[in-house]
Amino acid sequence: MRARIQDGGRARRPSRLRRRAIAGALIFLVATGLGTSPVIAAGETPGACVVEKVEALEFGGRHGGEALALLEETAARGVDEGAEEKFKSFEKKLQSCLDAPNPIIPEVTEIIWGGIAFVVLLALMQWKLFPAVKRGMDRRAEKIRDDLDAAETARTEALEVKAGYEAELADARAEAGRIIDAARSDAEGVRVDLIARAEAEAAELRQRADQDVEAAKRQALSDMQSEVSAIVIGAAETVIGRNLDHDTQVELIESYIDDVGSRN
Amino acid sequence: MSAEKVSSYAEALVAVVQAEGDLAATEDELFAVARALADSDELREVLADRRIPAARRQQIVEDLLGGHAAETTVALVSMVVGAGRGSDLVRIIEAAVERSAGLRNKAVAEVRSAIALSDDQQQRLAEALRRATGKDVTVKVIVDPNVMGGLVTRIGDEVIDGSVRTRINQLREAF
Repeated sequence: MRARIQDGGRARRPSRLRRRAIAGALIFLVATGLGTSPVIAAGETPGACVVEKVEALEFGGRHGGEALALLEETAARGVDEGAEEKFKSFEKKLQSCLDAPNPIIPEVTEIIWGGIAFVVLLALMQWKLFPAVKRGMDRRAEKIRDDLDAAETARTEALEVKAGYEAELADARAEAGRIIDAARSDAEGVRVDLIARAEAEAAELRQRADQDVEAAKRQALSDMQSEVSAIVIGAAETVIGRNLDHDTQVELIESYIDDVGSRN
Repeated sequence: MSAEKVSSYAEALVAVVQAEGDLAATEDELFAVARALADSDELREVLADRRIPAARRQQIVEDLLGGHAAETTVALVSMVVGAGRGSDLVRIIEAAVERSAGLRNKAVAEVRSAIALSDDQQQRLAEALRRATGKDVTVKVIVDPNVMGGLVTRIGDEVIDGSVRTRINQLREAF
């Protein structure tokens, strides 16, 4: 078949399924042939064996059951020693049909047919099955190698990715540390700034309070001075009013006239 | 009332006074009436109240001034009040006095004093003011106890203050 395919030039090679179907059919034919062989016939039932022996019996020109009946009758009369010997031989044959076959040692024909079938089957398997199995195992081994290589590649890549992730994680941790440090620094700056502001505001409040106190003191002093001056002026006004008699009034008027007259 | 109307009324008053004769005496009386009105819010409000009949207001003027002022003075004041210009009477009289003094080439010197001034004092004061301001003045004396002592003279916008009250106020401010 391979030659035919090669002669065909461009003819395609039979597919794996087709090759397996052909090998399976050959194996079936061989097994069927072995099943109809004498090896299998040797394992027939005792009844069939007895029937076969009886049909093969010949005595007195008769065959089968008639020959057996005649032989038995002749041997029973005891007049023919040949018939008695033949009857005893026939009984042994029948007895052999009733004997069980040896369970360990097969029949010789069975061994021969079994050996032939084994050799044929071995040859067929050597010809078709073993190469196919070997190719399948090779493909499987190749696939497993590829899978192992792929797995190794994937593992390597995974390790690389893991290393990358770990590096990124380390960077992230470092960045987080930097951010935390910066936040702490900012917080410290804010704290210092707030304290400085609070101190400045407190100082300003103290200064303002001092100024308010000083202003209140000045205002109180001024109010007191005003009160005192008002009292003094009021008293002076009263005293002056009482002392401004007519002569004094005239004197003031004359003084005014002289003062105005002296202006030029 | 506009300054123009005040001036027109003042001009009319002066014309009447000139026609009647004694310009200086009427001028003094009108000035005294103006001072009295300026010092009395109640009198000023009554004479300016249009709800009171004009005849009634004029009767009040005649009752107040009759026997104390010349008939011309009473008639002039009554005429202004009857014309419904009682609220502007002080301004009209002051404008008339200044116009009358101006006709005599004199300025009005409003002098406030705690006591009345004698004629001699007024003449010497007028002379002193003439020398000080370069203007001939006619002195109108207002007796004002608030001055306490000394004099306060106002000529137009110029004020010469020699009062005890002002000196006390200055002393108060100095404190």
